[in-house]
Order: sequence, then C-alpha cells, then structure tokens
Amino acid sequence: MNTGSVVQALREGVGETLPEPEVRTRTVGVAKPLEIEELWVDISREALLSAVGALMQLAPVHLSVISGRDAGEEMELLYHLAVGYGTEGGEVLLTLRLTLPKDDLWAPSLCELIPGAETTEREKREFLGVEFAGLSDNRNLFLPDDMTAHPWRQDDEQTAGLIRRTVKWEERDGDA
Amino acid sequence: METRKQVYQIPVGPVHPALKENIRFVFDVEGERIRNVDVKPGFVHRGIEYMGMRRNLVQVLYLAERICGICSISHPIVFTQAVEQAAGIEVPARAQYIRVIVSELERIHSHLLWAGVAAHELGFDTLLHLSWKVRERVMDILEEMTGNRVDYAIPMFGGVRRDIAPEQYPKLTEMIRYYRGLFEELSDTFLRDASVEARTRDVGVLTPEEAHELCAVGPVARASGLRKDVRQDWPYLVYGDYELSALTPEDYGVAVHGDVYDRIIVRLLEVAQSLDLIERCLRDMPEGEITSIPKVPALLAQLKKAEGEGIGRHEAPRGEVIHYVRLESGVEGPVVWKVKAPTYSNLMPWRPMFRDQEIADIPIIAASIDPCMCCMDRVHMVREGANEEMAKAELLRLSWEKTRRMCG
Repeated sequence: MNTGSVVQALREGVGETLPEPEVRTRTVGVAKPLEIEELWVDISREALLSAVGALMQLAPVHLSVISGRDAGEEMELLYHLAVGYGTEGGEVLLTLRLTLPKDDLWAPSLCELIPGAETTEREKREFLGVEFAGLSDNRNLFLPDDMTAHPWRQDDEQTAGLIRRTVKWEERDGDA
Repeated sequence: METRKQVYQIPVGPVHPALKENIRFVFDVEGERIRNVDVKPGFVHRGIEYMGMRRNLVQVLYLAERICGICSISHPIVFTQAVEQAAGIEVPARAQYIRVIVSELERIHSHLLWAGVAAHELGFDTLLHLSWKVRERVMDILEEMTGNRVDYAIPMFGGVRRDIAPEQYPKLTEMIRYYRGLFEELSDTFLRDASVEARTRDVGVLTPEEAHELCAVGPVARASGLRKDVRQDWPYLVYGDYELSALTPEDYGVAVHGDVYDRIIVRLLEVAQSLDLIERCLRDMPEGEITSIPKVPALLAQLKKAEGEGIGRHEAPRGEVIHYVRLESGVEGPVVWKVKAPTYSNLMPWRPMFRDQEIADIPIIAASIDPCMCCMDRVHMVREGANEEMAKAELLRLSWEKTRRMCG
C-alpha cells in the first residue's frame, strides 16, 4: 500500500471534486532509514461516506479516532484512518479533514461502514456538540448521563462555570 | 411444568468485577446466559485533554505520563512524536533506541501483570503469585534505569532524559536470560494446564470479522487472527529496522479461536518478542547524544514559536495509542490535544465477546482485553424490581466455583 493508490481510490470514490491531497513525509529508522508518507485531505460532508467506502474496497481500514477542533465560527473534525494494516510498513496514515459550520453542525455517521466508529462519534457528540446523522445511540458515553455541556467548545460557558466553582471551592478548602 | 424465559437486567458496576477500575456494564441475562451488554465508561474521566489545552507543552508531557500508571511510557512517547512532527524537532539515534528499550520493558511488565490478574480471576492464585513474583525482576530493572517503578519520565521533546550507563548493560542482559529461562515454565503453567484451558477455551470469542469491523487493537485483535500491530504496519522510532511481525496464535502452532485462551498465547509470545527486541537494540545502539536540544529554555522558546500539526502513534502493551496535536505560534500549550488509548478501541469488541456467555465468565472476559479505566468493587443486581447488592467477592466466588466444578 502506498499514498498513490490511496489517493487514486479517493479520486474514484469522490470524483473530480476531491481537493489536492497534502503529503507530509517523515524519516524514521537509524540502520535502514525510511521515508514514511502520510496524507491529509480536505473532505466535504457529502463526500465523506463515498471516500471511506472507496478506501474499504482498496484495503482493510482502521479508524483510529476522530479529533475535533473548535475554530470559532467553524468546527473541524479530523478522521484519522489507517489504511492497509497487516503487512510490514504497508499502512498509510490518512487524515480526512471535515469542516462544519457551527450553525448547521452535523456530519454523516460512519457506523454503517465501520461499526467501531460508534465510540468516537458518541464522544465527539458530547464533547463538541456535533450531531451524527445515522448514529443510533445518542446517549452520553464518557460524560455523566444528564450533562448537557460540551467541554471542548470555546463557547461553552457551562464547563467554564463548573471549573470556576471548583477552583473557588478548592481555594476555600485550602484556607481552612 | 411450564417454563418461562425472562430477560433480566444486571447492572455490573460502576465498580468493576475484574480489575479495580470504574466502568458500568448492564447485562441482559436469560437464566445464566448473557444476551446483550451495554457498556458505560467515564466514571474516572479526569478531563485530561481539557487540562492539557491550558498548560505548556512540557507540563502536558508530564500530564500525559499520568494518563495511565501501567503503560506510563506509551503516552509520553506518542505525545513527543506528535509535537516533534509539528515543531520539526529531530531525535538523535541513541535516544530512539532508549525509547524503544524502555517501552519494550514496559510491555514485559504489563503482560506479566495481566497474566497474574487473569489467573486470579480464574481462582488460580498460586499462578498469580508466580507471575507477580517474576514481574519484580523487570520492575527492578526499570527502577535501576529510570529511578522509578512507574512514570519513568524518560522521553523529552528532542530525545530522552536519561542515558543507559555501561554498567547497566550486563544487568539488562542478565534479565533477558532470566526471563528466557522462565518462558517454558510460564507457558507450561498457563497453556498446558487443564483448568486454565477449560475456563478460557471458546470463552469470550471475537471473530476476525468482528475484530476488524469494531476496530479492535493490540493483543485482542491479534488473538482473533488479525496481523495488526503499529510496530509492524507503520514504522516509527527504530522499529522499522527490525522487521517485526505481528504475532497471532498461529505463531504458537495452533489454529485461531479468538477466545480468552488465544489472548493468553499472544501476550506470552509478545514477552519473548520484546526480549529479542531489547537484546538487538542493546547490540545496535550507537554512542552519542541523547537529546538534540539539551537546554530547557531554548526548547521552550522553540516550542512556543512552533506552528503545525502532528500525529504520534505507538503500539502500547494493550494496543494502538494515537495523539493528535495542533500547535499555534505564540501559544505555549497545544491548541488541540486528542488522546486515544487502546481500551477506547476495545470497548466495542466487548459486546460480541460477552454475548451468550455465562455470568460466571464475566470477570475473565472483562479482564481479557486488559482494560485500563479505573476501579470498581461492587455490583448491583436488579431482579424483579428489587435491588440486590452483590459484592465483587460474590462474583469472584461464582467464577472460582465454576473452575472447581469444571475440574471436578
């Protein structure tokens, strides 16, 4: 597996609208140095499922995790996928970057294609407030059942208030 | 007599039957059989990523070390990798070898710790004492090399904090000899013991298809026959030099069942693999610098200017760890820090493992993925609306009784 065949599969799945992928290289090893390429690709909400579907046709796909970033007006989801495990040095690390507007904050769920995506989608839902269309279980996973705050959002006053209260309480405790 | 089949719900937790860690399982049981399970983690969610995004990078490195007390080098290794990629920092060759040696020592102690826990869950306490007695040797070596039994504080951005002294080499080679001499005895007591086999063969099965679909990682995935190991698939540090292969039960000469027994095989084989790797690293390790930026103020200044993104990955004893870091110029800490530990990926595979198993097998199946959350000591049983409380001791008693029953 190499980055070339992953890009080709993405182009076949998504079509001509796929933005130019960014290839980042790192050198690893001492006795036998290797150049390892990894891919970073911007993806649209509409193209996400067909992109992942096309990758799964190419090789076994492992979804490591979805990272998220609150960028003010927008929310960024980064799908870290390992394509083609099982052979020595044959895995390509690919990050699909999905940018979502905050006033229409939803993404298609990958659970139909990769059932193991449930844990990480539920986590993004509770910590960032992103809804996943097609995710059957929308309960909180890591946060308490009744918590409505989204702690990783910049505009989340509820968590900030909780922290302020805790700090105040701990200070009082220290004085006593 | 009319027989009725009714499904009861048994919540187990948030206090864990197998390890002393908090998690809640709600089992749907029909008689003695588990039909479904709902897993609820998060009782020890400490908001570490939230804290990390409000501290400077060196502070976060120490925080990362405290994510897990057992695999306490895995997270710093991954975090330094991600930051070094984002900030464009090189790591000297010798430091890469030292990182690999310490993480393989950690794998040995973690797998032996797990072996003891698994033996205890089965009611085989002599084996628990044997496993933990022999584990002390690697703990002594870790203490000798790093000054600590846990939280070794070895990786630093751009290298490592401590070198391996010439007088420590013979101690390491002696340790390798010690464990090689024990390997036969350990595999004999675990893998050729009738009661261990009776309690673990075809228990908690995870098929290769399920392991793949549910993104299982580490020994859990490999015991189901997937040759999935970050050290093999995605070379990093010096692992690429050694052409490592992921180990499955086939390497022990048996067919893959994907059960608890296979998870024991894989972990034992990996102890031997780590010993080989440490030996080869000690032989090949060049002399030289152990860090590319020895002065901390210079390092902090460079990190503060850094701008970019980075990903670090490592095969921890329990499976894949991945960190994503985003740095912005002028900000001391990471703007985004996402941590994924192996148990996170192995939560979903628990569902098929528990399906159609007996209540007495809950402790060993729960323990078989080597979960890493934090602790639990009682069980609530809801039977026909009434709340019964069931102690951890009670579940363990059920498990031990089953062993005795099966061994006649």
